[in-house]
Amino acid sequence: MGESLPDVPGGDQERGAAFRRPVRTLRVKMVLLGGSGVGKSSLALRFGKDEFRSTSPTVGCAYLTRVVHLSEVTLRFEIWDTAGQEKYHSVTPLYYRGAHAALLVYDISSRESFIRAQLWLKELEKQSVPGSTLTWLVGNKGDLDQDRQVSAQEGKKLAKDRSLFFTETSALSGDQVNELMLDVAHRVYEHVGEEQGGLTEWKETLPEEMYHRDTSNPLSSCCKVGP
Amino acid sequence: MSQRTERRGIHVDQSDLLCKKGCGYYGNAAWQGLCSKCWREEYQRVRQKQIQDDWALAEKLQREEEAAYASSHGTQTQPHSQASAPQQQPGHASLGPFSKFEEKKTNEKTRKVTTVKKFFSPSSRTASKKENQEGKTPSPSTSRRASFDTDQVSRDFVDFLKNLQKPGRDIHKQCRAFIVNMSSKKDLSADELSECVQDFYQGMADRLMSHFKGSSEPVEQVMDQVEKYIMTRLYKSVFCPETTDDEKKDLATQNRIRALHWVTIQMLCVSFDEEIPEVSENVVKAITDIIEMDSKRVPRDKLGCITRCSKHIFSAIRITKNEPASADDFLPALIYIVLKANPPRLQSNIQYITRFCNPSRLMTGEDGYYFTNLCCAAAFIEKLDAQSLNLSPEEFERYMSGQASPRFGGSEGDWSGGGPAGGAGAANPALAQLNHNLELLSSLGSRQEAVAEAARGLQADLLSWTQSVEREVHGILEKYPLEVLSCTVSAIDANNMDNDNLPPPLTPQVFAG
Repeated sequence: MGESLPDVPGGDQERGAAFRRPVRTLRVKMVLLGGSGVGKSSLALRFGKDEFRSTSPTVGCAYLTRVVHLSEVTLRFEIWDTAGQEKYHSVTPLYYRGAHAALLVYDISSRESFIRAQLWLKELEKQSVPGSTLTWLVGNKGDLDQDRQVSAQEGKKLAKDRSLFFTETSALSGDQVNELMLDVAHRVYEHVGEEQGGLTEWKETLPEEMYHRDTSNPLSSCCKVGP
Repeated sequence: MSQRTERRGIHVDQSDLLCKKGCGYYGNAAWQGLCSKCWREEYQRVRQKQIQDDWALAEKLQREEEAAYASSHGTQTQPHSQASAPQQQPGHASLGPFSKFEEKKTNEKTRKVTTVKKFFSPSSRTASKKENQEGKTPSPSTSRRASFDTDQVSRDFVDFLKNLQKPGRDIHKQCRAFIVNMSSKKDLSADELSECVQDFYQGMADRLMSHFKGSSEPVEQVMDQVEKYIMTRLYKSVFCPETTDDEKKDLATQNRIRALHWVTIQMLCVSFDEEIPEVSENVVKAITDIIEMDSKRVPRDKLGCITRCSKHIFSAIRITKNEPASADDFLPALIYIVLKANPPRLQSNIQYITRFCNPSRLMTGEDGYYFTNLCCAAAFIEKLDAQSLNLSPEEFERYMSGQASPRFGGSEGDWSGGGPAGGAGAANPALAQLNHNLELLSSLGSRQEAVAEAARGLQADLLSWTQSVEREVHGILEKYPLEVLSCTVSAIDANNMDNDNLPPPLTPQVFAG
């Protein structure tokens, strides 16, 4: 279903450019917040879907990575899902330490989740340094328009009041998910960028390489304990 | 022939029994054919040589290390070490009867602590202070073992840095200076220590960054090695330091987890089905990994344990639910695992990692994610109350005080129903079970009595039966008294009256012809 969506303008060209010349890869931490059952995990799965390499593709969707190519840089998103149950609310501030982006997700078909999102928002404002984390308010389950309890206007208004970015998505159909991802990528890169050293470069280090180096140690053979 | 083989079987030449040194005393196979006196001498000699070799090796290592970092001889390290290697060979070769393995064993056993200390210090001048303190620890075996690890790590570190040429030398120099510097700062608070280490990391990373012209891959590699080297050496003085209340917190957490032993999978809403063997296997592995964390020294290795534990949890959830686990499933599961495992020194480990790990690794990356989850789990367990387990406060109190336990609840609906009635319902099944068992026992008792009664009846029957048989026999005997007829013994034919009627006996007839 999501595949039939129009491509993001410029997306393909950027991707092509990335293959032609080496582009630096910067790492971005993105946190997903919101009550349980609003579709955070489905959204995370959508985000992680068309990545090239996933750390654990089948096992879990709590921690996912996604590579986004921009014209001058490649961003490697690390997507941290958080437990949405209310009882874990008090411990979640630990998750968004050092996050570059936070997606505050609610379910447009549930007024309660919208109210919960506002609580999360308060918590978030209390904990994080203003300006360090860019926050999006995401109304998910756009496919359930007939059961809508929270209008887009309400969401937009809340986002405007708290100076957040706003969008409505559907993790089920994939509607607006890629657009959101690209929006986050562009804004994070503009905002935190490399100037302030907010993003660190990321390179895959092969553990095998280190291993071989250790075993090639010429002295290791004569001083082992035991046989 | 056969006599000869027999003799060969038991024959032992007199000279075989004597000491191989030829001193005239008898030798012993356990002493390699020597007598006790000669053996002692020989052993002393070998040991002396061993100690000398150890010194030589230690010196060689030291020379090598110094050579690697002496500013002018950087490239001459290789030939130097090769030249010094053959020197050692004769010493080892003359050990004669000892196999390679035995050599190592004796090596370990006989080495004096001073040798060990010398051997393991990168430079006796700079690190002597720290090593001396290590030497004072009550258990020499553990400290020796620990310094053996330390030695291995520093040797790996030196090897790693060799590839970097000049910057490697600088890095090593700085790290050593830093360790010496740190050992003089033992009185600082943990936070200040952490700051020192983090400042050092930062400074080192900045320098490396400018050296490698901004490419972060080699920087991270070097930083990993630096962290490994420094933290292995500093571990003892900075893990759970006396200046903090980490130990008290450890004990508090441990007791807390112990008091929460009754928490079940259902209360935490964990999606594990431990009936499935694969799931319970993963659960056990996860528990093992999280416990293993305490045994690692380098923050990064500790993080590795947490990540492995988390992967097992994910597998367990995936097998149970047949779909990828989300954070909603993962965190409760991790809490459950921590409760089951009660990992040793959990708070100290978390604090240690937080203080001395490269911060970028904790804030981002997969390891960082799982570590954050572990922190959340620990914080949650501390704050855990009735509400978070879907229990009523009364129930929670009862379970915590040990007055009741949900374990033996026959039906799981009882405790989640809430209210004191639910709690009573949870306690009752046990009582009911007890009563049921008592009833069973008493019915068994009565049945046993009945059996015993019947047995007694049978015994009486048997007795009366023999008596009745006896009586009958007597009656018959009385009725028909035994009459013994006197009869004269005679020849078989004596009472044969009709003897005359018998035909005459056959006589042989002779036929003529």
